[in-house]
Amino acid sequence: MDNSLSRREFLKLAGGLGAYALAPSAALPAWMPRMAFAPPGVEPQGDLLLVVFQRGGMDGLSAVIPHGDPHYYRRRSALAIAEPESGDEETGLDLDGFFGLHPALRPLKDLWDEQALALVHAVGSPDLTHSHFDAMDYMERGTPGEKRIPTGWIGRHLQTAPWQNDSPFRAIGMGGILQASLRGPVAVTTLQSIADFHLQGRGEELARLQAALASLYDLGSDLDEEAAETFSATELLARLDVASYTPEGGAQYPETEYGMALKQVAQLAKAEIGLEVACVDVGGWDTHARQGALEGVMPRLLGEFAAGLAALYRDLGQRAQRATIVSMSEFGRRVQENASLGTDHGHGNVMFVLGGGVNGGKVYGEWPGLAEENLYGAGDLAITTDFRDVLGEIVQRRLANPDNLAQIFPGYSDWKMRGVVAPYEERG
Amino acid sequence: MTRSIPRRAFLKTSGLLGVWSALAACGAAPQAKAASTLSGSAPTPRPSPTSALTSPLQGEALLAHTLRRISWGATPEMFERARKIGLEAYLDEQLHPETLDDALLAGLLTRFSTLTMSPAERLQIEPPGRPVQELIAATLLRQRYSARQLVEVMVDFWTNHFNIYIGKNQCRALKTDDDLHVIRPHALGRFADLLDASAHSPAMLVYLDQAESTQAAPNENYARELMELHTISVEAGYSHHDVEEVARGFTGWSVAGPRSRRAAVGTYLFRPEFHDDSEKHVLGQHIPAGGGERDGQAVLALLADHPMTATFVSRKLARRFVADDPPPSLVTALAERFRASGSDIRQVLSDLLRSPEFLASAGQKVKRPLEFFVSALRVTAAELTPEARALGEHLRQLGELPFFWSPPDGYPDYAGWWTTTSGLLNRWNFAMLLTGGQIRGVKVDLHALTRAAASPTDVVDLLGLRFTGESLPEEARAILIDFASQGDLGRNLAAVAGLILGSPAFQVR
Repeated sequence: MDNSLSRREFLKLAGGLGAYALAPSAALPAWMPRMAFAPPGVEPQGDLLLVVFQRGGMDGLSAVIPHGDPHYYRRRSALAIAEPESGDEETGLDLDGFFGLHPALRPLKDLWDEQALALVHAVGSPDLTHSHFDAMDYMERGTPGEKRIPTGWIGRHLQTAPWQNDSPFRAIGMGGILQASLRGPVAVTTLQSIADFHLQGRGEELARLQAALASLYDLGSDLDEEAAETFSATELLARLDVASYTPEGGAQYPETEYGMALKQVAQLAKAEIGLEVACVDVGGWDTHARQGALEGVMPRLLGEFAAGLAALYRDLGQRAQRATIVSMSEFGRRVQENASLGTDHGHGNVMFVLGGGVNGGKVYGEWPGLAEENLYGAGDLAITTDFRDVLGEIVQRRLANPDNLAQIFPGYSDWKMRGVVAPYEERG
Repeated sequence: MTRSIPRRAFLKTSGLLGVWSALAACGAAPQAKAASTLSGSAPTPRPSPTSALTSPLQGEALLAHTLRRISWGATPEMFERARKIGLEAYLDEQLHPETLDDALLAGLLTRFSTLTMSPAERLQIEPPGRPVQELIAATLLRQRYSARQLVEVMVDFWTNHFNIYIGKNQCRALKTDDDLHVIRPHALGRFADLLDASAHSPAMLVYLDQAESTQAAPNENYARELMELHTISVEAGYSHHDVEEVARGFTGWSVAGPRSRRAAVGTYLFRPEFHDDSEKHVLGQHIPAGGGERDGQAVLALLADHPMTATFVSRKLARRFVADDPPPSLVTALAERFRASGSDIRQVLSDLLRSPEFLASAGQKVKRPLEFFVSALRVTAAELTPEARALGEHLRQLGELPFFWSPPDGYPDYAGWWTTTSGLLNRWNFAMLLTGGQIRGVKVDLHALTRAAASPTDVVDLLGLRFTGESLPEEARAILIDFASQGDLGRNLAAVAGLILGSPAFQVR
């Protein structure tokens, strides 16, 4: 993209006082008093991480169907997706003879075939809560059952990573509300839209306003430094030229808040302004009633979810080789469908892991089975993989932060990493 | 940067998203009485910079500092009243708010029907998010219009101290009771009473999982936060065993469900069948077996009287009113008053606001987003009309929508949390939108506020004084006069006002 600032340019701008002297006048507007980013240290060494949180509790048994388990069809007489029939678009898309994708997830099937997509089934948080709030909170902080640690797992990763990155776009929470996983001492920028991340106003008037604000924040107040960073950040984003952005590879994002968030993550990644982590939410999964099998809420949500991820993967192009995308949801749903043709809050679920470093084309985890005696609690899919095993492996192998798992996931030591992703050196 | 956590998608699923149209139900706001005040009484200019810098503050500088700290934005009316009766008398008035007429506000609040509903009615209401919308709207109206400003400041302080995330389960319907019957009546009262009321608050019992704690499966969440965040803090050095003992002491403190015959749904209910009635040892104190509900009362009394509670609460008060890292001398003095007075918040505050540390602390606190937001409304005499539906959305963007901080520790009260890249940008944009008349349902009449001004210099001086309570710093003043002098003054007015609200001087509490 011609308009993007290359990483080298960014680093030059970010070089502190020296950069001020060196910066060509064309590169900096007159009103920008100085660059406030601290000198960069070691460049980030790991993958770009994108976490997609499916808010509300996705029904993993509809997304990735265990068509090889007869109890699935017994307990889901209205909602089950039929066993895969080749050529029949109203049946599951077979993955390995036992599991299949919901047909609405077709956009992800190609990525599965390319071995870029892995699935982990019967995965989740061991805490037994059925409260959305608590379950999300535990997962995002990475501390099931433990409420004492206020920071999030990604926040602790950024804090402990063996490199520095003072870009205001090191970590982005899309959507305007900071995801709990990002909480921590490293400043995170929440972003609703790149296009709106600027001082509002028009033309000459705007330039005057900016100049006056910059002068007002250059008089020695405690806020001067933050203000200078703010000017720099808005200037960087202004260069991205949102309107003329064309995704690569003909990628088509869904025209939804979620789709637009993913598209902007791709834009930020390509702009090389220091993005390491982004969090995106997709909501609506709390399907207590009329959730729908082939038509309705659930297939629409799955379609949006899949189209977004597939578009992002295509759009990232070569960068997808250095990206890891992982989905999570606070809990799965009850195995037995309810009388309202929906499903109630459950336990085990499925996680999608996508990226160039993923050992894809495989469903990971032991299947606990859906027979009565194998269910958990009130009739839920049991968990055979702790979600921290998946995230921990990503931190260790793809985010190049292998030595700090004890801080990132405090209190967890029973690691069972399954090899969902490859070590950085092997595939990177 | 916004750091609040509620999940937009989650809210969608729980029908709470309507919150963002927070003021939808708010009735016609009173016409601006404030608008013409400045022309009525000529503002006294601040003393020269040298005298203003002498410590402790005196005269107008002291007035401005104090009024900013005890309110949601110091308005000309406040200055006028304080000058008339004297600052000491003004403080006493604010510390005894029952003497202050608040009829105007009371009239506005009658429009929020959920404020007077029973928990049962609120739990049933459609859409379920309506009590949340109305509580937020009522809170903003109180902060904007109430004559009892110090109470409103303290309500916010205790709302965060005893934080309840309104998005958790039934808290959406129960937080209203907590606000009206726990926080507000005790905001300037005895801390021990406030603590006791909070421990019986259904919203708190739900939020911290106490409602489901039984002797078979004690939940430690409330017990832990009660000690760590509400009273003695981790500095008291208690053990995990203490937490377990306190948790056992509170087993059975619960909330009545829809089928309860013992109490109305959504109200406090002690369930003896779930209480662990064996003996307990808490912080070295013995609580004998067979105490029933009195076990919890004994724990509360123990905690309220604990010297660390006095210190912890005093430090937080000093952090709110004095500095992010308050002087230990002040904390010690306030803690002594706290203990000597039987945890009388009014007396502690009275000491605090007259302390040398307070007088020497001008400029040391940065406004949080909510205070920035409300103070901008107050100093511009902005009227909130029923069409002001997007205010919640603006607050969410700024990062401090009331009742939406999900962890139990409340919105942070130190500058570093808030002064971030997107945080400042959002403030600047809000300032420009507000003064530009671009926030739907919010009326700002800058021409009325500047009628007495004839020149760019007049406009800058008048608005600077009105917005910050003091003359603007000389260099900032020069920049703004220069800005105001370019082109048509009338057309520049909104931008000049927006710049002052966006400038460093207006970010200071």
